Amino acid sequence: MEFVQDLTTTLNFIVQGLWVTIGVTLVALTVGLVFGLVTAILRVYGNAFFRQVATVYSVIVRAVPVIVIIFILYFVIARIVNLSPFLAGSLALGFASGAYQTEIFRGALQAVPPGQMTAARAIGMSRIQAIRSIILPQAVRLALPAWGNEATLVLKDSTLVFVVGVPEILRRAQQVSARTLEPFVAFAAALLLYLVLTLLTTQVLQWIERRYRLQL
Amino acid sequence: MTTDPILRIEDVHKSFGATQVLKGFSLTIQPQEVLVLVGPSGSGKSTLLRCINLLSPPTSGKIWLEAEEITAPGVNQDRVRQRIGMVFQDFNLFTHLTALGNVMIGLSKVRKMSKKEAHDLAMLELERVGLVERADHYPAQLSGGQKQRVAIARALGMDPHIMLFDEPTSALDPELTGEVLEVMQQLAVEGMTMIVVSHEMGFARQVASRIVFMEGGVVVEQGPPQQMFDNPVHERTRAFLRKITDMDSGD
Repeated sequence: MEFVQDLTTTLNFIVQGLWVTIGVTLVALTVGLVFGLVTAILRVYGNAFFRQVATVYSVIVRAVPVIVIIFILYFVIARIVNLSPFLAGSLALGFASGAYQTEIFRGALQAVPPGQMTAARAIGMSRIQAIRSIILPQAVRLALPAWGNEATLVLKDSTLVFVVGVPEILRRAQQVSARTLEPFVAFAAALLLYLVLTLLTTQVLQWIERRYRLQL
Repeated sequence: MTTDPILRIEDVHKSFGATQVLKGFSLTIQPQEVLVLVGPSGSGKSTLLRCINLLSPPTSGKIWLEAEEITAPGVNQDRVRQRIGMVFQDFNLFTHLTALGNVMIGLSKVRKMSKKEAHDLAMLELERVGLVERADHYPAQLSGGQKQRVAIARALGMDPHIMLFDEPTSALDPELTGEVLEVMQQLAVEGMTMIVVSHEMGFARQVASRIVFMEGGVVVEQGPPQQMFDNPVHERTRAFLRKITDMDSGD
């Protein structure tokens, strides 16, 4: 009984970090989506210069631990431009996720048959129009399964922003644990929250995937 | 009676790296002509079509569409392509759009019509190819013949001055070629200028106003179907046409 009560009190405290976790994840995913899409399009359709820049970004960022990027953004760049821990952490995660999303969207763009571009150009679309109206809608659908996977990875990586003091789920769990000296209860509560979040995210994404599946 | 040609191709060369595909191809087409282009594989038929609508512009040579030299520098190629409809061997329907969506997208994105206008015109084009009742089907839900008819409707929606057909029936099961050829024949009757790469010799005999035999990137011989089938000048033309005619009646 006492354990259940402890868990409830603990959960109540930690749940306030839920919105922070969701916030970090959403900002990171959105930033990553923009970076990923733009870089992927440049890599597949850009000129030699843009292709080079996009490749360098993707290769370097994927070769570096995310936490290093978080530290650089928070301890170096946040000194120059004013960034809250929340923003520094989310942007760093987004910047890193963008590199992975680049690869996801690049693969999807290349999986759209070349005849789609040819047919779009043949009815008088410009290259940009064709990419926007014909290629992207198909590529995004093709990318959905892999993107969903990346979304859950970012959700779990959002724990990393705890190192710069963002009061998300794990940070709060650690605070509880330090105060109550009951690490099991604290981290069990965190675990439960992450489990629910991840499973929910997966369900929603699978629904979207089914809804927009391309019939080939 | 002389009319201005709708398309004039003058000494067009096209190379891919060291491979020369078109080696000085010239041809003039009058409005409302239905030209059937035949030739062995690798003779440059598809390349020629892709040169004409600038999907892969000629290496050298000139092409006029009506009064405009479309190979001139500074020409807006997207606008040129809008006036040249193209139908592909493997349909290339946009897989994420319904039959109606496939016809509408060019109308709204390229011709800048309102949604209502685009919808109504797209339905008219689908009616032309007899597919109104399939408007809400996705390409995956259509037969090959239906896909190709949607592709024709999509091209017609752009109000092209000339239509190019790149082996429109060769990816189809034999029992499905008829419905596509019928639509094409109807177009010819309505006065559409057409260049058709095809080995459907029945269609060529009935519908073509001229047959052009090309080989090795140049025109070998051309003339009305009757003359080309019954009394060709070149031995190569005779041999080739006999071979594909035999294949045609072989099944």
